[in-house]
Amino acid sequence: MTSAPTGGRKAGTNWSAVRAVLRKDLQAVSRSKAVILPMLVVPVVLLVILPASIGYAANDRELRLNRFLDLLPTELTRPILGLPAQEQLVVLVLGYLVAPLFLIVPLMVSAVLAGDAFAGEKERKTLESLLHLPVRDRDVYIAKLLVAFLPSVAVSWIGFAIYSVVANAVAWPVMHRVFVPTRLWAILILWIAPGVAAVGLGIMVRVSIRVSNTQEAQQLGGAVVLPLVILAVSQTTGLMLAGAMPTFVAGCIIWAIAAWLNIRGARAFTRDRMAARL
Amino acid sequence: MGARERVIDCEELTRSFPSGVALDRLTLDVDRGEVLALLGPNGAGKTTTMRLLNGVLVPDSGRATVLGLDPWTDGDDLRSRTGVLTENAGLDERFTALENLEFVGRLRGMSGDEARRRGGELLERFGMSHRADVKVQGFSTGQRKRVALARALLHDPELLFLDEPTSGLDPAATRDVVDLIGSLASDHGRTVVLCTHFLGEAGKLASRMAVLFQGVLHAFGTPDALAAELWTAFEVQLDLGGEAPREVLAAVSALDAVQQAVPTTRGALVRTTGRDDVPAVVAACVGAGASVYGVAPRDPNLEDLYFAIEAKVGAQAAVGTGAEVTP
Repeated sequence: MTSAPTGGRKAGTNWSAVRAVLRKDLQAVSRSKAVILPMLVVPVVLLVILPASIGYAANDRELRLNRFLDLLPTELTRPILGLPAQEQLVVLVLGYLVAPLFLIVPLMVSAVLAGDAFAGEKERKTLESLLHLPVRDRDVYIAKLLVAFLPSVAVSWIGFAIYSVVANAVAWPVMHRVFVPTRLWAILILWIAPGVAAVGLGIMVRVSIRVSNTQEAQQLGGAVVLPLVILAVSQTTGLMLAGAMPTFVAGCIIWAIAAWLNIRGARAFTRDRMAARL
Repeated sequence: MGARERVIDCEELTRSFPSGVALDRLTLDVDRGEVLALLGPNGAGKTTTMRLLNGVLVPDSGRATVLGLDPWTDGDDLRSRTGVLTENAGLDERFTALENLEFVGRLRGMSGDEARRRGGELLERFGMSHRADVKVQGFSTGQRKRVALARALLHDPELLFLDEPTSGLDPAATRDVVDLIGSLASDHGRTVVLCTHFLGEAGKLASRMAVLFQGVLHAFGTPDALAAELWTAFEVQLDLGGEAPREVLAAVSALDAVQQAVPTTRGALVRTTGRDDVPAVVAACVGAGASVYGVAPRDPNLEDLYFAIEAKVGAQAAVGTGAEVTP
């Protein structure tokens, strides 16, 4: 008789079970064009092509930004106004205005993958056979979270690395120095972007438990995630202009929300609840 | 013969969903090496029973012990010793047959090599080795069922829950699966809980049967015991050398003891109140001009019992409905 990896509910996290689910789901993601294509195309457009085009265009303009910057509080505009005039537009665009895109991407990727990981099991009718295996609810939950979380963070980090190269290359004729990444960008990419991915995940898990297929999960999840995207777009630039500490604190708040959502999600993710909805 | 070892023991198991009561105070037991057939129409509560006994669903009330464990506190320990074939094969179509088995093997604590070796052996046993490295997406229902059965047996479980194991299989595959289930119980001491619509396979395999209707257990026991309880009639197959003529059937039907007489290709099937009525039946046939070549008693099969129970349940329901509407 083969011994099972789990020893009842008293045992801690069974990482071999988590790895097995994670490995299988990541393999499945890598084989699914329907999941992979939006995961690659959207970040390339949002994080590389769009910023590069805007940055390139900004190089050729000698726009007076004062009128625009006058609308903002002086504390916020100081980082821009302190720069030479020809650098202001490039730094404003490539250093601040494109920042929200780096929050949209992890949010979007985590939502797509979480929908596939949770609601997809129901759609493929593989959930019941999974529930009959000796793997604890929490281990399945952790594995499914990681399946969505790790690629979304990886995509935003790799996207940012590529973006840094592109932004510095495009802006070199004006800047003559490497201006991205900065400490602010590090906070945004390493701290806030994963937090935003975790928030998207927490929402999609709750939604996926209730629905029967990925399409419903995306539709319902989208209705909740879209306002967050709008919020991210509208607030991120201002937040970055406000400086490192406010940005870090905002990250703490985002992580607190993500933790709350995911703890509630873990509590809702029980065998009984899953099986009752089959 | 040693004392019987109880593998499943449940009492007053009840579970409701928002749509209503799925299982109402189910009490039954299963011994080691036994095949229990859970019979009933769709929505009878068979799959809910299976899910409750494997610790996937939690009951509203009642208690159960399965393989000496509480399914709801020791669920993972229990599930490491049970194998389940769900009604939908539940294979991931994006993976090959062997990859599906390897995944389950890993979750059951096997190494990748061990899971692939064992999976390969089982696929060969079920005639699927030539499809081992093909994605499940293009498989027929029967092929999926075989792979799913291999998955259920991967860790050599002590207790098997099989939900419609032969649905979608061709006759040869059905026979193989039925033989395999029989040998798992008789030769290897495995205990099997079989949910099925197919009374033929249940009749061949089951040592006991439990008949559920709308979540309520209406009959539970060995086919013989249930037959004695439910089947008061005595049936004989008359061999008349050809289909019974109308006048012969009329003469037989005219006897007080005869409940029913129907023609068959070789004669007639006659239902009487008891064995003592047979000479009178034969005499009536001869009197009507028929030659009687043989008389064979026919024991009720599982199908007869099932429909007798169904009729009894229907009659009870009608009485219940009537009682409710009567002022």
